[in-house]
Amino acid sequence: MTVVNRGALAAVAAGAAALAVAAVVAVVSRPAGDVGAEQAAALASPTPSTAGPAVAVVPGALPEDTDTVRPVRLRIPSIGVTARVGPVGVNERTKEFDVPPSVDQIGWYRYGPGLETDSGSVVIAGHVDSAEQGRGAFYRLRELAPGDTVTATGDDGTERTYRVVAREEYDKTKIPLERYFARDGRPRLTLITCGGPFDAEARRYRDNIVVTASPV
Amino acid sequence: MQFAYLRRVAAGGAVAALTFVGAGIATATPAYAADSKVSVVHGIPDTPVDVYVNGEKTLENFEPGDVAGPLDLPEGQYDIALTKPGEPIGQAILTADDAEVPGGANISIAAHLDADGEPTITPFVNDTAKVDAGKARLIVRHTAAAPAVDVRAGGSPVFEGLTNPNEAKGDVDAGSVSADVVLAGTDTVVIGPADLNLAEGTATIVYAIGSAEAENLAVVAQTIEGLHSAPSGVPSGTGGQADTGLGTWWYALAGTGILLLVAGGARAAVVRSGRR
Repeated sequence: MTVVNRGALAAVAAGAAALAVAAVVAVVSRPAGDVGAEQAAALASPTPSTAGPAVAVVPGALPEDTDTVRPVRLRIPSIGVTARVGPVGVNERTKEFDVPPSVDQIGWYRYGPGLETDSGSVVIAGHVDSAEQGRGAFYRLRELAPGDTVTATGDDGTERTYRVVAREEYDKTKIPLERYFARDGRPRLTLITCGGPFDAEARRYRDNIVVTASPV
Repeated sequence: MQFAYLRRVAAGGAVAALTFVGAGIATATPAYAADSKVSVVHGIPDTPVDVYVNGEKTLENFEPGDVAGPLDLPEGQYDIALTKPGEPIGQAILTADDAEVPGGANISIAAHLDADGEPTITPFVNDTAKVDAGKARLIVRHTAAAPAVDVRAGGSPVFEGLTNPNEAKGDVDAGSVSADVVLAGTDTVVIGPADLNLAEGTATIVYAIGSAEAENLAVVAQTIEGLHSAPSGVPSGTGGQADTGLGTWWYALAGTGILLLVAGGARAAVVRSGRR
C-alpha cells in the first residue's frame, strides 16, 4: 500500500468519525418530543354544565373576595426540583406572564385557579435559565415523563400530588395559551418554561415546554 | 388601580320603546340566531313581585335586590309583566310589551325606578367582550330615582355625570377598590363607600337602585364570569444553556466529515485505478 493510499484512507476514516460524532450529537440533542398531547387536550375540554331547568335567583350582593389556596412550594423529585412559588400576574407593558426574575423562584398565575380548584388549569411557570444567573428551577422540565409526580404545597399547609400526563413543545408563536390558561375543563396543573433552539442574538428560545399533570 | 383609559358610554334609554341600552349590540349579534342569555334584576324597593314572560309565570316572589338568571331565550319579542305576588296577570303593576331580544346577546332586564320615582323596565345589553389578562370590567348603571351622579374609586371620580337610565363602563386592573357614589360635581356621598372586589376576567355590573327622596338608595350587583384572556406569552429563558438547536460547530464538523470522506474516497479511487 502506498503512502498516498494510506493518507486517503485516513481521510476517509477521519471523515467517517466526524460524521459519526455529528450524528450522535444530533440524536442526543434532539428534543425529547411530545408525549400525552391528547390527554392534555382532553383535560382541557369543558365539562358539561349541570344547570337544571329552574331559574337561579341570587341576592345581588357585591362580589366577595374569594379565598384561593396559593401554591408556595413545588417539588418534582424525578428532576431534583424544590422551588419556592410566588404569586405573579402579567407584565403591564408586554401583557406577558410575569415570570419571577430570580431563576430559583417560579411563579403561580394568580388570576387563574388556586390549588383548591375543581376545574381549570393552575399555571406555574419558571425560567429554564438566564444569561446572568445560569440554570433555572425548570432547567430539566423537558426531562419529565408521564407518570412522574409533582407535589405542590399550598399556603393552607396542605400538600397536593399530581401525576404528569403530558409534555409538549410548541413554537411560541403557535402555542394555544388559551387552553393552558383555561378556567374550565378538568382540574390540572400546568408547568411552563422555555426550550428548543436558542437565538443568541435575541437572547430568546424559540419554544415553550408545557407539562400537564393531573391530581392524584 | 388604573382608570386612565375608561370609556364613558353615554347610551340613551328610551324606556317606552324598550330599545336596548348599551354598546356593542350590533357586534354582539351574530348572523345566526343564537339564544340570548337574559338576566332579570329587581331594583324597585319594598316591592316583591311575580314575573311573567309571554303570559307564563317565570319568577315567583322575586325580591328587591335579587338577580335571576341567566335564562336562555331565543331571539324574538317578549311580553314582560310584573304582578304583586299571587295576583293575576290582569292586575300587573308593570308591563313591557314586545321587548326585543336580539340573538346571541347577553342582556339584563332591570325593573327599577325612573328618575321621577315611577317603576319602569329597562333592558341593558351587557358587554361580554374578553378583557385583557389582568383586567376586570366595571359597569355602573344608574337605575335609581336620583339626579345625575359621579362614581368615585379611591376618592377620585371615574364615571361622571351618569343619569338614569344609563350606564358607564371601563376595563380596570383587577383587584379591590373602595368606591362610592356622589351627587354629580359634589362631595355629597349618596351611596357607599363600599369595597368592590373586581375579579380578573369578569364583568361586575353595579346598579344604583332606590330613591334619593325616600332615602333608600342602595346597590344591586351582577357578575359575569369567563371573560378572561391568556397572557400574550411566557418568556422564561435568556441563557441559552438548554438550547436544543444544532450550533454552527455541528455544521462545521459534519461538513468537514463529508469533505474528508469525499476527498479521501476520490483519492483512494484515483490511486487504485492508477496502479491497475
